Amino acid sequence: MTATLDRHVGTQHRAAVDLQGVGKVFGRGTSAVTALTEVDLRVQPGEFVVLLGASGCGKTTLLNLVAGLDQPTAGAVTVDSGRPAVMFQEPALLPWLDAGRNVELPLRLAGVGRAARRARAAELLDLVRLGGLARKRPHELSGGMRQRVALARALAATSSGTDAEGGLLLMDEPFAALDAITRDFLQGELQRIWQATGAAVLFVTHDVREAVRLGQRVVLLSSRPGTVVREWDLAAAGTDREELSEEITGRLREVISTHARA
Amino acid sequence: MPVPEVVSDTQSADTAAVGAGLDALDTPTEARKPVLRRVLATWLPPLIALVLFISVWQAVWASAIYPEYQLPAPLAVWQEFAGTVVDGSIWGIVWVSLHRAVLGFLTSVVVATPLGLLVAKVPVVRAAIGPLLAGMQSLPSVAWVPAAVLWFGLTDTTIYFVVLLGAIPSIANGLVSGIDQVPPILPRVGQVMGAGRIDSARLILLPAALPGYIAGCKQGWAFSWRSLMAAEIIATSPQLGIGLGAYLKQGSDFNSMPGVIAAIFLILLVGVGVELLAFRPLERRVLRARGLATAP
Repeated sequence: MTATLDRHVGTQHRAAVDLQGVGKVFGRGTSAVTALTEVDLRVQPGEFVVLLGASGCGKTTLLNLVAGLDQPTAGAVTVDSGRPAVMFQEPALLPWLDAGRNVELPLRLAGVGRAARRARAAELLDLVRLGGLARKRPHELSGGMRQRVALARALAATSSGTDAEGGLLLMDEPFAALDAITRDFLQGELQRIWQATGAAVLFVTHDVREAVRLGQRVVLLSSRPGTVVREWDLAAAGTDREELSEEITGRLREVISTHARA
Repeated sequence: MPVPEVVSDTQSADTAAVGAGLDALDTPTEARKPVLRRVLATWLPPLIALVLFISVWQAVWASAIYPEYQLPAPLAVWQEFAGTVVDGSIWGIVWVSLHRAVLGFLTSVVVATPLGLLVAKVPVVRAAIGPLLAGMQSLPSVAWVPAAVLWFGLTDTTIYFVVLLGAIPSIANGLVSGIDQVPPILPRVGQVMGAGRIDSARLILLPAALPGYIAGCKQGWAFSWRSLMAAEIIATSPQLGIGLGAYLKQGSDFNSMPGVIAAIFLILLVGVGVELLAFRPLERRVLRARGLATAP
């Protein structure tokens, strides 16, 4: 098992996401709140990176920065793969559009023609095993199916860019609101789809088991302000995920405990 | 780059089966009642209520507690109503009022929609006229009639003025509350997909606000119909023609209680009819498409 803070593998090609010394402060003066400080993080094209942290670690702030919804107050955020796609905890499907048209929406915004986007949406719905359900409205689908439609829509968004090879998927605790069986199933599906599409994934969660199951690399963030505490490389040969899961849980508990003392 | 273990074929077939099972178990089921029962459930209760009402009316009239000029028999009102149908005058009367109300309502929609958008999306405008617009709804539009008569005389302008002031605030307020109630996650979804202001409004904000907007339009129709009746009852003149309001006034002037009741009945019939035939189906369609309709 390897645990490295500085990781400069693959600098010969550009990273999908590159954060250098990123900090984010909300507000000003005495009421200022530091959400993130000195965050260094690289995600390689096609890599699956999980951000793990307790509440208040600035996970969502970090994703917002990468998604371009917000600007950092320090450091630099570089995203290589065009517009990243974002998936939230709730499916956030548009309730007046059927599943197919929800998936088509990012393509429509990108100016893709009707026939092409319909074909692409059908393809993506097939990928998330919802082929033939394109005409169903969100309220006719189960929670897990809605989240899969949201995944297909996010994939449509990553592939709508021009030269985005594989693209970049930002996921903000996408399975947190689902029941355990559905979550387990969707984690497996996400793995399969990630391998099929070759997208880089930046996945935020507070669930250690989920992090260890999905990630090639797990990045632990501290809370208030959020910064990178440690990284674990799970892709290395001979990684015992069970053992690692315990180690990471232990480290996470330590990080959380420091807040009680402070 | 190291790739995690590839899922084997049998495993993936298993996963597919589990997924299909979950989908089958979790998919919400929508049971629809048979057509005949739905029709009965919708029409029978109001029909029974109507029959009961007329029976009580007939009984009270038969007991002769009130003089005939105050409480006519149901049959007398029916004969008055049937008389207008037979001589064909009813179509003219209804047409005069209905085309005014529809025209006034459509004009109100055209004015109120941009107004509502401005109030909802521009904070300064909201601070300036938002409370006024909400307050206007509680001002009875009858209050505008005397002013309008002085400004425009006994003309169509007076009538449309009153109708517009009655309907515009309702429609604009409906649109504002429709926009206010859009879940904040939906505009964010548009934002992360790179939707500009116009695309975001056209593809996300306006469709999301549609239920509130339709509710506002429905109320706007009710208000324009009410305002129109108020205007027609007060502002009567030969060149304005005889609408339902003027017909009601005529009944009152001639001391003809059957005429008055027939007029009230017609006003109710047209107002409710337009709501049932135009707004109810539209609203139901929009709500059902979003899984929001509760009634069958």
